[in-house]
Amino acid sequence: MKAVADWRNKVNSHRFTTVAFLVLTFVMVLEAREMSSQDAKTKYPHMAAVEEYLMADRNAEIALARSAAPESISHDATVLVLGQHGYETAVEGRNGFVCVVDRSWMLPFDNPEFWNPKVRLPACMNPPGARFHLPLTFKATGLALSGVSNNEMLDRLKAAYNNKELPLPENGSMCYMMSKRQYFADNVGNAGDSHLMFWFAQGEHMAWGADSPDSPIDVHQYSPQPITEFSISVAKWSDGTVARTNQH
Amino acid sequence: MNRHRVAPLAALIFALVLAFATPRQVTGQDGKTSYPSMASLEQYLMPRDAEIAMARSAAPESISHDATVLVLGRHGYETAVEGKNGFVCAVERGWMSPADAPEFWNPKLRGPICFNPPAARSVLPTTYKRTEMVLAGKTKAEIIDGNKEAFERGELPALEPGAMSYMMSKEAYLTDHGDHNLAHLMFYTPPLDGAVWGADLPKSPVMLNPQFKGVQPIDVFVVPVGRWSDGTAAEVM
Repeated sequence: MKAVADWRNKVNSHRFTTVAFLVLTFVMVLEAREMSSQDAKTKYPHMAAVEEYLMADRNAEIALARSAAPESISHDATVLVLGQHGYETAVEGRNGFVCVVDRSWMLPFDNPEFWNPKVRLPACMNPPGARFHLPLTFKATGLALSGVSNNEMLDRLKAAYNNKELPLPENGSMCYMMSKRQYFADNVGNAGDSHLMFWFAQGEHMAWGADSPDSPIDVHQYSPQPITEFSISVAKWSDGTVARTNQH
Repeated sequence: MNRHRVAPLAALIFALVLAFATPRQVTGQDGKTSYPSMASLEQYLMPRDAEIAMARSAAPESISHDATVLVLGRHGYETAVEGKNGFVCAVERGWMSPADAPEFWNPKLRGPICFNPPAARSVLPTTYKRTEMVLAGKTKAEIIDGNKEAFERGELPALEPGAMSYMMSKEAYLTDHGDHNLAHLMFYTPPLDGAVWGADLPKSPVMLNPQFKGVQPIDVFVVPVGRWSDGTAAEVM
């Protein structure tokens, strides 16, 4: 009996140690994440110099924008590049798609890297997607370049949607974000997933099973923009090489 | 090059064909089986519990666990499990293939699918309608015409925005060709030019499925995903 009791004590002691270790690890991970988020907030409290968001090499920006979609799509797309005063058409396309490298101010307003000048988000929008999303990109970019704070930008965009100055997504609005050179954030760099995005006006019940365990779909509710965005992780980059898929 | 990849895939994806019962199954000169007409009903049926499990396997458990589940019986689809999240999972058969699909009557086809709520309301009724005609002994041509007429008469609902479905079952059998299967999602839209989504272009992950072409004003876009519903890796062509 004593042997059994000793054995139980040993097991319990071992269990306690294991549990304590796991709890400690969990707390450390949480703290590290919190610190990382705090770092980002501290690191990017407001807009950097405009030059930091620009790409000196115009051709490099064109190539990066096109890398968002397979060449069969981006080759004939219109390509925009960011200049000192906003986006400019660098290449006139003929298939209705528009490829562009979004900057950090297209991230959610509460994203700590909202002003991270390293962020590069290449996207190729299909024709309905371009008609809906480009006006938003242009508006947000204009506000950013005019030096407003992100709070003011939020208020202005909200007003623009309320006044119907900005359009809502049309049927079939989507875009490709399959560039292996995209840079989403300092903690993931270009290790984000290859994905497609689909846009809808909010207000419709959009049950896609997004964000559920093992679902390949993420959902993001824009704010203040009344838009629902679904992101579908795909298995290849735009050049056909294998990509890591994002799954919950 | 890509066309060679897309064609069998497209045939595969929608798929459901039916084969024929042994006596009416035909082997062509190329040695491949063709399915000129419906096989015996038994060949399309399966044990109820196995069908429930297969239907649920179309989507991750986090979605299918609370979904309504349908099973095919002698008189049509029946509700085997009442769900509570608005999704509906079923195993479709070959007759949900495009009108010109050679495997329309292939009795081996099993297409586990979980419809999201908008698709359950606006796409699934077509599955009921076609199945009803199949079980009434209609021919393929009659089924396709009947489907078209039912829509034109307003007996089938208009497509709702945001309609989509999961087809991520490892157990699916979508075609006699290749690996027989592909983990994918399907998105239903009003008719769009496939080029609007960049579908079927080289290296594009989007394919246009002609499932309802010429029958109902619905385009079906297929996006392969790199995982099965159980989270394990799936090969993507």
